Amino acid sequence: MTCALDVCLRLIWFDLELFMKYPMVLACAVLVTSTAFAADHGPVFSYATPVNSERELSFDTGIFGRNGSQGTQLSTGSGFGYGVTPHITINAFLPASFGSGNLPESRIMSGTEWSAGASWRFLHSVTSVGKRIESTASLGLVVPGPQPDSGVLGSLHRAPGVAGTLATGLASRSQYVWVGAGYTRFADASNDRRPDTLSWSAVYGYRPSSLRRGYDKWDYRGFAELTGEHTGAVRSNGVILPDSSSTTVWLGPSVLAIFKNIAIEGGVQGPLFRDVSESVYGRERVRFAINLSYLKYSSHTSSH
Amino acid sequence: MKKIFALGFLAISTLAAHAEYEQVNLTVFGMDCAPCAHAIHVSMKGIQGVNTVDVDLNTGLVSTKLTPGNGAAMRQFNEAVEKNGFTHKDANVIVRGQLTGSPQAPFLEVTGTKDRYALTPIAAGTDISGLVGKTVVVDGVLPQSGKGKVPDTLRYKSVTEAK
Repeated sequence: MTCALDVCLRLIWFDLELFMKYPMVLACAVLVTSTAFAADHGPVFSYATPVNSERELSFDTGIFGRNGSQGTQLSTGSGFGYGVTPHITINAFLPASFGSGNLPESRIMSGTEWSAGASWRFLHSVTSVGKRIESTASLGLVVPGPQPDSGVLGSLHRAPGVAGTLATGLASRSQYVWVGAGYTRFADASNDRRPDTLSWSAVYGYRPSSLRRGYDKWDYRGFAELTGEHTGAVRSNGVILPDSSSTTVWLGPSVLAIFKNIAIEGGVQGPLFRDVSESVYGRERVRFAINLSYLKYSSHTSSH
Repeated sequence: MKKIFALGFLAISTLAAHAEYEQVNLTVFGMDCAPCAHAIHVSMKGIQGVNTVDVDLNTGLVSTKLTPGNGAAMRQFNEAVEKNGFTHKDANVIVRGQLTGSPQAPFLEVTGTKDRYALTPIAAGTDISGLVGKTVVVDGVLPQSGKGKVPDTLRYKSVTEAK
């Protein structure tokens, strides 16, 4: 895990330096690319490794909810991905939120930030029929969306940030295992700064033998998803807000159903561990997500 | 003179029309789910001349049948697998082409494509020397090749003169 985080941090700082040197790169990144989000046809909360096929266009939309003692925050959003090569996908995620929950920063659950980035499946080992071991790194830019945040975060001036994630794991006909981690760091804006966020996940998936059927039938699998996040302190007017950092760990099931190129998935999580100031954020009780994916594969082949 | 050219053109056209892959059954590693199979199905169907595609996720077997007169090349089948992030292994093929070379070193040329294979028997004792220069149908196995490459050897189970 330490090694993975080190790689993430190096990638992020490299990215920041690049953006500082070349403003055009920054502009292009905002317009064209994005951070990989869990969805598509993997787990709904956790980091996973699949990327798009070459020339595959994917579209995701869903509802993500967080409920706590100080309100409910719902967000919906649209995600787009395009496979540049079999192992590199560029993507964008444009959420819109509603509700008035006062909740800690989260990068596992979508909020109001728009993001764009690229995912690179840098390790891809195909070992047998139906089985792959792979690792994917994602890097992206997170920019404030047009909507303000709610609660403690709603009063902050917002600035863009960079997000890096790393996921590794195994996919097979029967079982799936992925672990991943991500780090997001925001820039300062008028002496305010959103908290840095370190997030991690571990997911186990299983497809019973009776459901290992032909691809022209519905394909189901279930996941147990463990996610965790640590958010740093919020800085407002140059002053660190007391007790504004948070650490939470969440666990819950999710189910994925796929028919050819359409996927529907849903999941719910409850808290396993919370180190959060209830006076600042209240008590977050439940997280849930429903996601719909459409995958448009390319039939293009080269002529001989 | 014109008649000779016309006859020559007709002969080449006829040869091209009768030189083609009839079936390509690829073993594909790495497909775990329905979208994987669907992606392969769409990619294979995108190859001109592919008539039917069947994907078995549990065995990894991708079976294609092609229409007569197609000009599909083996590289296209491999690319259809690679572009989806999977790995192709051996391919069982039934292919029609011209047997060239010599009885000691026979080659199969799939006219209309750049595919040319050295033929080696899977089992010893098969004599195909009498078929050199003729159009034949070969049932054989193309061994796994590297990414972006097509094997140069076709290991045949049977070689029969095309009707």
